[in-house]
Amino acid sequence: MEKKIILTKEITKIYKVGDIKVNALRGINLEINEGEFVSIMGPSGSGKSTLMNILGCLDKPTSGFYYLDGINVMDLNDNQLAEIRNKKVGFVFQTFNLLPRLNIIGNVELPLIYSRREQSRARKDLINEVINSVGLAEWIKHKPSELSGGQRQRVAIARALINNPAIIMADEPTGNLDSRTGEEIMAIFQELNRRGKTIIFVTHEIEIAKHSGRIIYLRDGILCGEEKVKEPVNACKMLENMPKLEDKINNFSNNNSNVI
Amino acid sequence: MKRILENIKIAFNSITLNKLRSFLTMLGIIIGVGSVIAVTSIGSAAEASISENIQSVGSNVITITPGRDRPFTSSSSGGESLREIQRETNINRSGGNARPPEEQGQGPAGGGFMGGMPMIEEEEEEEEIVAGELYLEDVSALKEKSDLLENIAPVLTLGNLNFSYGSSSGNISVTATSEQYPSLSGYEIDLGSFFTEFDVLNATSVVVLGYDVVTDYFGKINPIGEEVKINGEKFIVMGTLKSAGYTFGMSADNSIFIPVTTAQNKLYGNDTINQITAKVKSEDFIDAAIIEAKSILREQHSILPGEPNDFEISSSEQLLEMATSITDTLVITLASIAAISLLVGGIGIMNIMFVSVTERTREIGIRKAIGAKNRDILIQFLTESTVLSLSGGITGIGLAGLITWIINTFTALSSLITISPVVIALAFSTVIGLLFGILPAMRAARLSPIESLRYE
Repeated sequence: MEKKIILTKEITKIYKVGDIKVNALRGINLEINEGEFVSIMGPSGSGKSTLMNILGCLDKPTSGFYYLDGINVMDLNDNQLAEIRNKKVGFVFQTFNLLPRLNIIGNVELPLIYSRREQSRARKDLINEVINSVGLAEWIKHKPSELSGGQRQRVAIARALINNPAIIMADEPTGNLDSRTGEEIMAIFQELNRRGKTIIFVTHEIEIAKHSGRIIYLRDGILCGEEKVKEPVNACKMLENMPKLEDKINNFSNNNSNVI
Repeated sequence: MKRILENIKIAFNSITLNKLRSFLTMLGIIIGVGSVIAVTSIGSAAEASISENIQSVGSNVITITPGRDRPFTSSSSGGESLREIQRETNINRSGGNARPPEEQGQGPAGGGFMGGMPMIEEEEEEEEIVAGELYLEDVSALKEKSDLLENIAPVLTLGNLNFSYGSSSGNISVTATSEQYPSLSGYEIDLGSFFTEFDVLNATSVVVLGYDVVTDYFGKINPIGEEVKINGEKFIVMGTLKSAGYTFGMSADNSIFIPVTTAQNKLYGNDTINQITAKVKSEDFIDAAIIEAKSILREQHSILPGEPNDFEISSSEQLLEMATSITDTLVITLASIAAISLLVGGIGIMNIMFVSVTERTREIGIRKAIGAKNRDILIQFLTESTVLSLSGGITGIGLAGLITWIINTFTALSSLITISPVVIALAFSTVIGLLFGILPAMRAARLSPIESLRYE
C-alpha cells in the first residue's frame, strides 16, 4: 500500500467577517498518496484556495484533523508551521509572489536562509542547479521585473524546489499566463511528478486539470466528486503542436502590413 | 553570522530604496547625536581652558574682595537640600528682600557636580558679610603682619577707558596694580619692564601695554618711551607683555596696566581698591593663610569679635571649582536639550518603520509563506530600524566633528571629540533604533501569512 502523504478528516474552516460567519469549508475528507499529481477544481468561492492554504500550512482549520507526512498539523504552533512550510512544502502562486528587489538568485535562495543551512559552497551549487533545472541559467542576475510571466513562474518553481520538499502546492499557477506559457509550466510540473514529487494544484480550467492524474471537485466547501484521469494530457506533446509566440507575431504583422 | 549580514544587507537595501525618506528620518538622530557630542566636547574644552588659565596663575593664589551687603554667604558648601534651607533662612532674615545677583549666580555652584572640595566646605559655612571697602593700607598691613603670604598686590580695575596714541584712539580695559602683579598673574614681560615699587610709591605716570594693544596701536614701532593718553592724562610706555591668552573670555592682551596710586590720583578720584591678590607661600597653608589674612584684616578694620567681616577671601581653587561647575551645568543643560532631539528622532524612526511595515506587508507574507518564523521577521525589521538609527548616529558624529572644527577655527578654544561621548552616542542610537523599532517589528512579525499575501 502506498504512503498517504496527506490525510484530512472533517476539516472545517469558518471565517468571521464582522458579525457574519462564513463557512468556507464544511468537512473535507481527503487522502493523497505520495507521488500523486492531484488537481482541485471548483468555481470561485467554492473554498479551493482556503483548502489549499490549509493543506500548505499557511492557515489552520477551525476543526478536524490534518496529517501531513504523518505529522498532526493541528498540534503545531506558528513557528512549527513555518518550519513545515519551509521544509516539507513548496508553494507556487498565481501571482508569482517574488520579492521585486532581489534578483533570481536572491529569490531562489530565500527558503534556504530561513532553513538555517550553512555550507556556503554546496549552497551555491544547489541554487545554480535548481535554476538550471527550470531553464533560467542565463537570467540569474536579473530582477523579477525584467522577466516575462512564464520566467517569473519558473523562478517561483525553483524557489519551491530549493529545499527539496515532499509536496509542491500550486494555486492557479497558470492563471496569469497565456496558454503556451501555461503549457510550459505544466510540462515542468509533469516532469517533477515523474521524478517522484507529490503535486497538488488548484485550477478552474478543466484543460489544465486534465494534466494531472486525479481531479477533485469542490463546491460550497464540500468535496462533491472526484475523477481518475485515464490518460493525462502530455504537456510536452501539446507544446509541439502549438505555434510559437514568434510565429504568431510574424503571422500577425504579415497579415496586417498593408493596413499600417 | 551569515544571517545577521543578510539582515543588514536587506536593511541597507530598503533604506537606500527611499533615500530622501531615510535621510529625513535619520535627521533627528543626526542633529541629536551631533549636538550632544559637539556640546560636550566644546564644554570640556572650555573647562580645560579655564582651569589651565587658573592653574597658570597657581592654585595657591588668594583673592580678597570688599564685602558686599549680604547676610550670608557660602560659596561652596553642601548639596541642594542644605542650600534650600539656607535660602529660606535668608529670606526670613532679610525680610523677603531679593538677594544680590552675584550670589544668585554663584549660589547653586559647588557641591552638586564636582563633589566639592572638602577642605573648603568645612571652612566656609554660613558666613555673614557686610558691605565694606578695601584700601592700600590693608595691603600694607598684610605685607607687614602676614607670615604665610607673599607677593601681595592691590588691584583696581577701572574698566574701559579712552586710550589714545597719536591719532588713533579707542577704549581699553585699564587695571591698576603694584609691581607684584606679574609674579601673581603669570604675565611675562616682552619689551622694557613692568613698573617698579618706586613708580607705585611716587605715583608716576607710566603704563605697561598688553600684547594686542601693542599690535593694534603701534604696529612695528617700538612703543617703549612713547607717550600715550588715558582719559586725556599723559602716560609713558614702560613695558609690554607677551600674549597670555584668555581667561573667562577676557584677555590681558587687550588690557593696559598702571600703578595703583597713579590711578587713584588721576583717574579714579577715590582711595579704595577692588581687590587684593596674594600668593600663599606653600599650597599646604592655604587654609591657614586665609585665616591669618582674615584676622589681620579684621584687626585693620577694627571689627569686634562676633561682628561679621566686611570683606571676602577666596582661593583660586574655589574660583576653579566655581568655573567648572558653571560650565558643567551649562553643558548638561545644553546636552539634555540636544538629547530631546534624539528622542524626537526615535519617534520619527518608529513612524517610518510603521509605514515600512505596511508598505511591505506583501513581502512579509511571502517570506512567511516560504518558512520565515515570526522571530525572523522581527529581527529583520529591528535590524532595519537599528541600521537606520545607527547610520544617523555615525553621520551625527561627523556633524559634531564639523561643528567642533568650525568652533576651533573661529575661536581660541581647542575642542577635541573624545572617545566616551562617541561611544555613548553610538550605543544610544543603537538603543533608540531597537527601542523605537520594536513596536513596528512586532506588528510585522504578528501579521498572518495569508492575510498579508492578499494585501494589495
